[in-house]
Amino acid sequence: METLDVVLITGRTDKQGVTLEIGKTSMDYYESVAVVELNEEDAEKLGLNENQPVKVETENGAVIVRCKYSKSVKPGLAFMPYGPWTSLLMTHNTEGISMPSYKGVKAKITPQEEKMKVLTIEEILDQFIRG
Amino acid sequence: MGKVLKDVVCSFCGCLCDNLEIAVENGKINPVSRACKVSISRFVNYNKDRVPYPMIREKGGLVKTSLDEAINKAAEILSRANWPLIYGLSSSVCEAHRKCVELAELVGGVIDQTATVCHAPTILAFQEIGEIHATLGEIKNRSDLVIFWGCNPLDAHLNHFVRYSVTPKGLYISKGRKDRTVVAVDVRETRTTRVADIFLRIEPGKDYELLSVLRALINGKEIDLDKVAGVSMEEIRELAEKMVNCRYGVIFFGLGLTMSRGKHYNVMAALSLVRDLNKKTRFVIIPMRGHYNVKGAGVVLGWQTGYPFAVDFSRGYPRYGPGEFSAVNLLANGEVDAALILAADPAANFPVSASKHLARIPTVVIDPKISMTSLIADVVIPSAVSGIEAEGTAYRMDGVPIRLRKIIDPEPGVLADSEVLQLIIDRVKGVR
Amino acid sequence: MQGERVIIRNGFVYDPINKVNGERMNIYIENGKISEEFKEEGAKVIDATGKVVMPGGVDIHSHIAGKINAARLFRPEDHKGDVVSKTTNTRSGVGYSLPSTFTTGYRYASMGYTTVFEPAVTPLEARHAHEELIDTPIIDSGLMVCLGNNYFTLKYIKEGEVEKLKGFISWLMKAVKGFSVKIVNPGGQETWKWGKNVTSLDDKVIGFDVTPKEIVTNLARVNEELGMPHTIHIHCNNLGSPGNYEITIETMDALRNIKPVKGRKNVVHIAHSQFNSYGGKTWRDFSSGAGEVADYINKHSHVTTCIGQVIFTNTTTITSDGPWQYRLWLLTGNKWTGADVELETSGGIVPYVFRKRNPVNAIQWAVGLELLLLIRDPWRVYLTTDHPNGGPFTLYPQVIGWLMSRKSREELLKKIHKAASTRTQLPGIRREYNLEEIAIITRAGTAKSLGLKSKGHLGVGADADVAIYSFNPEKDSTSDYEKIVSSFSKAAYTLKNGEIVVKDGEIIGSPMGKTFWVECKAPQEQEIMDDLEKTFYNYYTVTLTNFPVQFDYLPLHEPLKTMV
Repeated sequence: METLDVVLITGRTDKQGVTLEIGKTSMDYYESVAVVELNEEDAEKLGLNENQPVKVETENGAVIVRCKYSKSVKPGLAFMPYGPWTSLLMTHNTEGISMPSYKGVKAKITPQEEKMKVLTIEEILDQFIRG
Repeated sequence: MGKVLKDVVCSFCGCLCDNLEIAVENGKINPVSRACKVSISRFVNYNKDRVPYPMIREKGGLVKTSLDEAINKAAEILSRANWPLIYGLSSSVCEAHRKCVELAELVGGVIDQTATVCHAPTILAFQEIGEIHATLGEIKNRSDLVIFWGCNPLDAHLNHFVRYSVTPKGLYISKGRKDRTVVAVDVRETRTTRVADIFLRIEPGKDYELLSVLRALINGKEIDLDKVAGVSMEEIRELAEKMVNCRYGVIFFGLGLTMSRGKHYNVMAALSLVRDLNKKTRFVIIPMRGHYNVKGAGVVLGWQTGYPFAVDFSRGYPRYGPGEFSAVNLLANGEVDAALILAADPAANFPVSASKHLARIPTVVIDPKISMTSLIADVVIPSAVSGIEAEGTAYRMDGVPIRLRKIIDPEPGVLADSEVLQLIIDRVKGVR
Repeated sequence: MQGERVIIRNGFVYDPINKVNGERMNIYIENGKISEEFKEEGAKVIDATGKVVMPGGVDIHSHIAGKINAARLFRPEDHKGDVVSKTTNTRSGVGYSLPSTFTTGYRYASMGYTTVFEPAVTPLEARHAHEELIDTPIIDSGLMVCLGNNYFTLKYIKEGEVEKLKGFISWLMKAVKGFSVKIVNPGGQETWKWGKNVTSLDDKVIGFDVTPKEIVTNLARVNEELGMPHTIHIHCNNLGSPGNYEITIETMDALRNIKPVKGRKNVVHIAHSQFNSYGGKTWRDFSSGAGEVADYINKHSHVTTCIGQVIFTNTTTITSDGPWQYRLWLLTGNKWTGADVELETSGGIVPYVFRKRNPVNAIQWAVGLELLLLIRDPWRVYLTTDHPNGGPFTLYPQVIGWLMSRKSREELLKKIHKAASTRTQLPGIRREYNLEEIAIITRAGTAKSLGLKSKGHLGVGADADVAIYSFNPEKDSTSDYEKIVSSFSKAAYTLKNGEIVVKDGEIIGSPMGKTFWVECKAPQEQEIMDDLEKTFYNYYTVTLTNFPVQFDYLPLHEPLKTMV
């Protein structure tokens, strides 16, 4: 399966703000945050449909989220709302100043089959965080 | 429609809009006007996804307990720990922050707040260079050049444009939007860049270069390059000229600078640029602070300990150690052996290697709502939502202190954050 | 404390307001107040034999709340060498030039100070200053409110609406729970918002067409007509600059004919006059202008002043004088923080080291002492360092030492740049302060200038704030610098409202202090309500509803009435 190298940016979105206030465990939050935005050109290159699961992988980890087409990122760039799903991709190395790098991280995008599941918060906790 | 309250303060983001009209009827809250959509969601959904009662972990699961028992357990965890971490603060009020510092001092632990993973680089750069700052009203009243650098208020600070920075008329800005030039610098197109007069799309991780070249230009240095950070020198020169020729310019910057390669160096470059511009005209710089009282957390730690974040009390006096006493480092390195999390959700945002340790050690969470961290905690104590069910002080992103109001009673038995913390402090003192 | 009775026995009492000058006597305390004599039975007795007893110190000008917090956050390097551990009854903190709030309260109390006024609060951030005062234990306080560049001040003066200005100040003091009218670089802060400054009393403020002279005279008049307990308190134009003694004298002289409120003679307090008493035209020919300023004050009773003494140390400059802080950055190259506050103020912070070998710094040190020694009436000149601008307040005892011991001044003069000897009058001044005069410039005079009837003296009914120092005027030499410094650095006892809070310089009690504010009731307040609403709506970013400081921020407070 084809893989694309991108630079990953994380950030806030207004939907994230709205759904956060409904609740972290809500479907609304899940649907608006467990996503990656890719340029249409890049998405087409990978043969991706809107909402298709993709694996985002960095040297620190990998996570499956749904793909969103976006005009706002240029080819070669990917955007994810900052949250539980991005936390699986980031290093804890703060370079001695307390702050991990959350933006401009090298990542690989790999399309996944429709049946591949996007983990819920509970599943992330179980699989990655709880001992 | 029930009683309509005027000039209510929103406790979501660092804008702290204080002019909302809110209707309250039968325990339901409905924003009537001036609230942004996030704010509306906050008020309408304030009672959803709440922590239903105090809980403690037994045999792997969280079970209901009494407040008294939860406080006992929390005090026991913090008292027994060798080096506990107190973390969060940014979505609570200063009255609670003060108690957090007291508690950290009492148990000889570390206190850190969410700035540690958002504007810590800004704080470090400020301590190195200084910051030419203004309150948001100066922007409204004077700013004819408004630059958004690595921030996207139309997604993160929704009323910023209309209340402070872009559209309002002011004392010396009689025509509002028409009297201002708006510039956006970002790696991607956003709602903000779309409405800017000028959009410089820069390559990721190249902010330092662009800021430094601008500074060189405004200081009269020659630059022999065609492009910097993917932006043509023509565009850069044009921006430098606009900066020098404006009356009262401002750079608003966000995590685009602090979270990207260079981090505090990026911010140092921005602060130096703005400082130097004051030799030519007036220019100020304002960090876009996210959570509604993340600014206040730094302010309170400042007056009580001298330092804004990452403060350790294990020696009985405050020590400052960004990167050393910072939450992510302490957790990822497995150095702290207990934690109290107030009004923040590190398990959702920290790198997973840090969260893993949090799940391993005994953790106390005080929060009105279910958070990811509450799901891995050993003690969860519900509290009232500040700014809705409890009053208190918050600091706007520009440092203006505003009193949040209580507009509705919390459920019986649900206390404000500061009251919960006071109970824990009293109990810890009793245990010792 | 309530119900408790204390006798301070047999000390040498210095209570200048009640004309007690070193007499050996007892002081009686009941219910936190100084009382008439009572029987010893059941009372706590403090033996003050061989010790000096004074009212608790009253500091008229020290930056302890508000803007100083930005400086704390700005300068972690300031704190690291001066840490304060928690004890069983005190909180931890940091010290040096920017002490944390708890440490501020403890360190003042351990020097025998019990009342300290914060001299520069911008109204929009008054809530913050009050929050810090809550966490500043022991000492009583009050906030001076910056008004010399306030939009309403400038607008009403421009429009010739002095009555409305009165209404505004009356309203504002209540709204922010403020104590008095502060003026910093009149007109200069507003002008700085356009990158410029005002440098003469007749310059025009950009956008308002009013002059510094009009600002100070109108505010002085309004202040006296309102009957504020304290006069206007001015940080003059051109602070820190060569030749600025002239504008200082012009400022005082512009106020000569203002009619004081009944009950006092003075109408203006010149803050940290040391920083505004310089001669010369450039940094090269920089010299003292203290002689001229002292001479003017000696001849005119309408002025009081505090000094802002410089001490050779690494400190932090913090002022609301935006253009001066910018200039200080250009001069020093040290890091610089600035802050403009909508419709109200500007300001800044620059770290600064006063060096013995630097000719300008040496002269500055001498100028402060010249003023203190040349102004003859101690009731009108007060000891401050403009903490932390001239140095941290913890070093006041050194200043007391220099004032009492000519020898100590002469010894230091030998060690510092010779400009202090050649370009000031200090070497020729023989005067040495006595203990009564020290009591005046550190408590009695300041309390009087602030209009605090319950402070600065030990008469019946006064707050039982008392300092006891291990100095025996019959045995110890008043020119023994070391002894003076050690005695005044660590009080043998400090009592606050009759409670012993310090013993042998250590904190043993830590009650909360109260905040004084002035409750004006000018009928003109009604005339400005429309203006207030319009201006808040149009130009402020906080609503009029949310602007006033709630009483939640003043858990212990005492509103003072105006004098009319």
